[in-house]
Amino acid sequence: MIPRFTHVLQLMKNVERNLFHMFGYHPPKELALAYVHERKPVATPKKFSIKDIVGDGFLLAVPKFRRTIERKLKRKFGTPEYVWKMLVPKNHIKVCQNCGHHHEKRRLCENCYTKIKKETEEIQAQIKEKLGINPIEHDVVVLYKGETLPDQPKEFWKGKRIIEMKKERPQWFSKNLLEKTTQQPSKSTDVKPTDLA
Amino acid sequence: MNQADVSKLVSKLRVKVLPKHRNLPGPKGPEGRIDKLRKTVTGLIKFERIELNYNRADEARQYAERLISEAIRHGDCHKPTMDTADFWLLEKELVHKLFKVLVPRYETSNLSYTRMYNAPRLQYGRTIDKVVLELRGNPFPDLLNNKSNNKLLIQNVLLDAAKNDYRQTKIAEMAKNIGKDIGTKQNTDSKLNEAPEKPNIS
Ligand SMILES: [Zn+2]
Repeated sequence: MIPRFTHVLQLMKNVERNLFHMFGYHPPKELALAYVHERKPVATPKKFSIKDIVGDGFLLAVPKFRRTIERKLKRKFGTPEYVWKMLVPKNHIKVCQNCGHHHEKRRLCENCYTKIKKETEEIQAQIKEKLGINPIEHDVVVLYKGETLPDQPKEFWKGKRIIEMKKERPQWFSKNLLEKTTQQPSKSTDVKPTDLA
Repeated sequence: MNQADVSKLVSKLRVKVLPKHRNLPGPKGPEGRIDKLRKTVTGLIKFERIELNYNRADEARQYAERLISEAIRHGDCHKPTMDTADFWLLEKELVHKLFKVLVPRYETSNLSYTRMYNAPRLQYGRTIDKVVLELRGNPFPDLLNNKSNNKLLIQNVLLDAAKNDYRQTKIAEMAKNIGKDIGTKQNTDSKLNEAPEKPNIS
């Protein structure tokens, strides 16, 4: 209410002053300012350019804003729920029963698996070469070099395709430890020296 | 009750099935998902052992199991089963394999028809989990190849010999102590009788 009232008052004062001005009631000339007009050349404002500062040099990228401590720590260590960047010990490493290498629990041993994968791919390639694009109507039996078919009744072999590999059976793929191994027993007669110490 | 037994209408899968399927997202949507699964099932039946991503393998495995169980259930003279096999196997010679090789192989088994192993992971870095998916009874070397229970394994032979040695020494010791045992026992008995009674603490 009060600001509106003062506003109206101001308006009325303005009207009064203008009216006096129109009818020649000026303030006395002694109160006027003494002013000498002088024409100054107007300087056109120059546009800011980074080249004025840098010149022939170059600028490196620098941070514009301060990184908060929380952000800094997050960048450094990550979040345990999502990406945890600290080194954490793995407690699920087991020793392979076959080769003694280490592997993760509930996962295949890498050393064994690479061997088996290579062998599997070779057998698959051999099967593909043998059977070609014919309808695959027969079960497959894999035989290695120098192996004969196990003793089975003739009905057992009916409708089976025999795939022969052109190499000897790998030692680790043998079904029985008493089978012949690929490694020949050594014939050297060297005897290890004893009672040295 | 006129209700049919559900277990006799649908063959029960011998693998774990999630309550909700995986979408296997891609640009082609649900159609693309089916395409991917068909390719995987075809590859599994063809190669009998494949390595692929976990999600896709687990999803395709269910379809492969279902396909084989349907084939065993109805045989090759059943039109809907034939159509299913025709849909899921992109290479048509595999339809023959399904009915002539896989059905006789699994007819009598009461295990699942496929196996899935977790493939080894990189030691460092982040990768998608891979699995090895295979049909049971394949001609390839066994993936687990666990011979730790074999009696002829060199460790087991050595352990058996060590156990035997230990037992022998124990028996020899016991045999030696039999004569002395009676004398020492009498001594201890007399000592026990002389010992004063302990005060009862309550
Ligand atoms: Zn191993």
